[in-house]
Amino acid sequence: MKIFRAGDKFIFEVGSREKHLLLDVLRLYPLIPAAHHLEKSHRSPDSSQKLLDEALAEQRAENKKQIESFLAEPGRFEKTEAGWKFSPSSTELEWLLQVLNDIRVGSWINLGSPEDKLDLRLMNKETAPHLWAMEIAGAFQMQMLEALKG
Amino acid sequence: MVETATPEVSPGIITEPEEKSRSGLEPGFLVICWNDPVNFMDYVTHVFQQVFGWPRKKAEYHMLQVHEQGKSVLTRESMEKAEHYVHQLQRYSLHATMERDQ
Repeated sequence: MKIFRAGDKFIFEVGSREKHLLLDVLRLYPLIPAAHHLEKSHRSPDSSQKLLDEALAEQRAENKKQIESFLAEPGRFEKTEAGWKFSPSSTELEWLLQVLNDIRVGSWINLGSPEDKLDLRLMNKETAPHLWAMEIAGAFQMQMLEALKG
Repeated sequence: MVETATPEVSPGIITEPEEKSRSGLEPGFLVICWNDPVNFMDYVTHVFQQVFGWPRKKAEYHMLQVHEQGKSVLTRESMEKAEHYVHQLQRYSLHATMERDQ
């Protein structure tokens, strides 16, 4: 996969497998449980946190809708000789980063929020899909962050 | 926070903007970002740049503070503005909270 900047747009050049991986991983959104922020020990004042949680829930619903239209939009991906190309704007790239991070962090939570590196010997058919999603979302994120750094 | 690279940052040369007056009628609220073992360091730096409009060096300085000291006070604002920033940081799945400045 290659990502480079062209003015306000970013050009993604992906192979067929990478395209499928991206679409498959995006379909998992949202993965962070709604109550996740409530469970954290360091809290904002209760009244403001409630409003923040509501705003966050709205945002996630909006993101979910946006993903559905992203996945369904004809012509979003353009066929090239080497695979596929698509060109999100800077705003869309920011949104993709947020969504992929939700998938990555949510998968990590589903794996039991391990503090250290995962012990692959403990993987089984229940936990493996979470590790897969975490790794794939992370790989796309890293490429996007590199492109943003220029 | 997951290490992705080691940015060259010299905290000594970071010049923080002058603290706003603490004698104003509006009490100050601190926006705090907490460490977690999952978010990439580059991602956290990018989020700070986006949310606060900071240059990369300043964003990296606060990212490293989160990583090494467990938290960083990112800014002191009115309640409304602090809520706005916490919401923005939480949208990016960072662990951010606000608290009244004592």
